[in-house]
Amino acid sequence: MDEDRPLFAQIAEQIENDIIDGTLAEDSQVPSTNEFAAFHRINPATAAKGVNVLVDDGVLYKRRGIGMFVSPGARATLVARRRERFENEYLKPIIAEAAKLGISRSELSTMIETETAQ
Amino acid sequence: MTAVIEVEHLTKRFGRFTAIDDLSFSVQEHGIYGLLGRNGAGKTTLMQLLTGQQFATSGDIRLFGERPVENSSVLDRVCSIKESQRYPDEYQAHHVLTSAPWFFPRWDAALAGQLVADFRLPVKRRIKKLSRGQVSALGVIVGLASRAPLTFFDEPYLGLDAVARQIFYDRLLADYAEHPRTVLLSTHLIDEVSNLLEHVIVIDDGKIVIDAEADALRGSATTVSGRTAAVESFSAGRNVLHSENVGGLSSAVISGLGPDDRATAIGEGLDLSPVSLQQLVVATTTSRATEWKESA
Amino acid sequence: MTTHVWRIVKLHFVNKWTVLGIPWLVMTFIFLVNLTIWGVIYATTTGQSRTDAEQGLGYTGASFYIFVYMLIVALQAINNTFPYALGLGVTRREFSFGTGIAFALLAVGYGAALTILSFIEQWTNGWGLGGHMFTAIYFSDGPWYARLFVFAGAMLFFFFIGSVAASVYVRWRSNGLLVLGATIAVIALGLVVLATLTSSWAAIGRSFLAAGSIGIVGWMLVAAVIAAIAGYFVLERATPRNA
Repeated sequence: MDEDRPLFAQIAEQIENDIIDGTLAEDSQVPSTNEFAAFHRINPATAAKGVNVLVDDGVLYKRRGIGMFVSPGARATLVARRRERFENEYLKPIIAEAAKLGISRSELSTMIETETAQ
Repeated sequence: MTAVIEVEHLTKRFGRFTAIDDLSFSVQEHGIYGLLGRNGAGKTTLMQLLTGQQFATSGDIRLFGERPVENSSVLDRVCSIKESQRYPDEYQAHHVLTSAPWFFPRWDAALAGQLVADFRLPVKRRIKKLSRGQVSALGVIVGLASRAPLTFFDEPYLGLDAVARQIFYDRLLADYAEHPRTVLLSTHLIDEVSNLLEHVIVIDDGKIVIDAEADALRGSATTVSGRTAAVESFSAGRNVLHSENVGGLSSAVISGLGPDDRATAIGEGLDLSPVSLQQLVVATTTSRATEWKESA
Repeated sequence: MTTHVWRIVKLHFVNKWTVLGIPWLVMTFIFLVNLTIWGVIYATTTGQSRTDAEQGLGYTGASFYIFVYMLIVALQAINNTFPYALGLGVTRREFSFGTGIAFALLAVGYGAALTILSFIEQWTNGWGLGGHMFTAIYFSDGPWYARLFVFAGAMLFFFFIGSVAASVYVRWRSNGLLVLGATIAVIALGLVVLATLTSSWAAIGRSFLAAGSIGIVGWMLVAAVIAAIAGYFVLERATPRNA
């Protein structure tokens, strides 16, 4: 767990990651907040807050008395959202840093080609 | 949300010394609260006032809506565990485990037995002969097994090793999840418990300096470091909790930095690093000492 | 309220070793030592000298141990059990009533046991050796209720003197005890001076004799009641000491 971000946000992000990489399939049950709390050794209320963020977001849905499940279509929504953030959070800093270091556009694309080929 | 503890303008003086200075705060039902602060900040006195063991000089305390002093209907729902707890002479741990259930209607004997095994507590040995950690374990067992709706742990684990402390944290979380209650935990091992806490109250010199949700405090402050001139010009007009300088370098703990502020700082060549809850508490409770040092 | 007070009574009895084991073990030991002494005296004396010796044996302090021990039980009950009980969420009022009841039960229980032992001692002519441990001359040689009154009453006196002193200590620490000790010393000195100035020592001696053990224990009970009430009010505002 990182020190600089709220735990609930980190819990939410972790569940999102599990949905995106397929660990949590759509319509499958996610662990209970108490299980999250025990596993990460965090306060159950904080874990619940992280889960509830995703419920409010429509990524998860509640079945009364049973638990939380991954909403159908959640993966597609999350991937689309992450793609949007990708440009801002990853691409732009790379381009800015490259410019600072005098790496040309073609050099940068070659580097990306080489890295992805590996 | 119902308030389990309501404190208004609470003051406690011992002679000329003011241990608790006009405190007001409340604690909501079902939560794990951290009461943090330096030794001598007033944590123990506050807990003893809340549990009716000390008498307030002025101000008002309500537990479950009633005053706790000499009030059975309140005290029956309260369990207070303190590091310095005295036990009757010649008592063995099993005497405590036999008598404690009479005072806690929700006592869970199975849990107590499990914890005795977890902590490897020798129950047939005189308490005087137990190690510091074993005495602490006994307190922790009573505190958890009591299932009291309002449980106070005042520095409960002096002498407990890292493994035993982890057992305490895990058992506390597991049992709390199944049997929600209100727990007020005072400790100086802040980093260890910061993830367990839902709410944090920091007191210093008998006054509250932080009263906030633990998660909201995460990332609420940032350490900005770099050349003194740059740090000082960036700090100006911002909320500086604590600052230090060595040679030409300075660092400042600043709260409430937004993304734009961060971008500005990075633009000025300053380094940013996150502040843990422990660092935040240190920063907020040492400021006075630092000021004194600087003016001296 | 009843169950609240009763659990305090139980709290004082949870460690049976302290309230029952140790006292009886030590009493048994003292008894055996005395038995040996009586045996030696019995074996080495005859006729008039044996009668004299048996009379002298009446002035024994052998069973005083139990009373002093109960004073210490009372000190510990307040000094250690009180802070423990407060930690368990007990009110001071409940603690005081429960502790008082526990003392009364112990006093009556031990009083009854000592009464029975005193009759056995009497019927066996001092365990066959003319010894005195439970029929020492300070105790009543009257009917069972008189003996029970003396034993239990004296024990209550030691309980409540111990508990009021410990309460003063718990509330005001050593300064409190110093003040209490000084006050008692001044009052005692005053009484001595008064008795001497009015030349009434002889009269006091006579009235002690006239009162007998029953009368003296009666006055001790008055002191015990005063100590109990004083202890209650002292403890009502006491705060636990941190170890």
